[in-house]
Amino acid sequence: MTILSAVALGGLFGFALYKSGASDPKKLLAALRLEDLTLMKTILFGIGFASILLSLSSLIGLFDISHLSIKTTNLGVIIGGLIFGIGFGAAGTCPGTCVAATGSDGIKKAISAVTGGLLGAFTFSLSYGWFNNLGLFDAMNLGKLTLFNLSESFPSVINLGFDGLLIMGVLLSAAAYMLPDRLVKAQYAEQSQKH
Amino acid sequence: MNNWKRLKGALLLGAVFFIAAFLVKPIGVSTQFSVAAGIIHSALDPDVIQPDETRETGYRSTNAYYDKSDGKLAKAIKNPLNYDFIFVLAIPFGALAGYLLDKHRKRKTEANTTFNTDINVPDNVSAVKVPFVRNYLPAFIGGFLLLFGARMADGCTSGHMFSGIMQGSVSGFIFAAAVFLAAIPVARYVGRYIAERKVG
Repeated sequence: MTILSAVALGGLFGFALYKSGASDPKKLLAALRLEDLTLMKTILFGIGFASILLSLSSLIGLFDISHLSIKTTNLGVIIGGLIFGIGFGAAGTCPGTCVAATGSDGIKKAISAVTGGLLGAFTFSLSYGWFNNLGLFDAMNLGKLTLFNLSESFPSVINLGFDGLLIMGVLLSAAAYMLPDRLVKAQYAEQSQKH
Repeated sequence: MNNWKRLKGALLLGAVFFIAAFLVKPIGVSTQFSVAAGIIHSALDPDVIQPDETRETGYRSTNAYYDKSDGKLAKAIKNPLNYDFIFVLAIPFGALAGYLLDKHRKRKTEANTTFNTDINVPDNVSAVKVPFVRNYLPAFIGGFLLLFGARMADGCTSGHMFSGIMQGSVSGFIFAAAVFLAAIPVARYVGRYIAERKVG
């Protein structure tokens, strides 16, 4: 049963990544260059929509709160995020989308990215002890902090519970809707497409 | 305009993240790269992960990362037929289904040459002249940095940014801020570099 749901949900996720255009590095790079924010708007709207579904299902008592999974906030999130960002900006893919792309188009490059990723993850496994001794994961440690008090398991900033999450979801969707399609004129991209 | 198509993509993606959290748990991908690499690691070096009956997970490791949280990762490496690992293995099949069902595929594939480096090559230069390394190294290095960073941050775009922000997790917002702070200048610089080399 567990395996079956993993196959179904993982497959659905890959399908959604392809359908939303997220597995296309060209679209991701255009978004990161701020030349075509379409994909960022799609993703931001999707996050907002997911928050709305999550809070509504909780407010009517259907959502099992033990399914929530919050990650620890610490310095590792910031430094790791910056390193991740360099790879993200250079390759225009991320761990989920490069796995998805191994099943659709740009397969060879997706496999290169996955292979690099395996080596990157392995290198981190070997260096984790060193970073840990350095105190990277203790510095700025705020625990599993959430914006709203969704569950007693996690510390929170604002006492609004799932109402707060619902408001956040609506605001994120609205922000996604109102964001302009581009912030910067795509001069370089247009030149290159004429070839 | 393809506004409706865009909205459909957003609603589908959001719904999938919600359904996964509703039925099982929030989606995450990058941990499974550590698991996959760990499977190879422990095959080459069988001593790195050992059974340990005194622990709830049943495993301990000489590697501090596999050993973390009572050997949680060590257990996943030794028992890869679990929800999280199979979930990630199923992703390409779903993407393949989407690809095969896509009517606009042909047009899209032609325009979709990932890293621009190979668009540049004139037709009369055979594939032999394109260094294999130049073609695939950027993706490889990009992938390396992505997963090294994601493991340090304990999550990636799926786990931190999408699943995290969806739950109002502070770590998700901080991760997103750090990622875009680095990714936007890098993407703009790399894009300009490639475009200038092409024009010049």
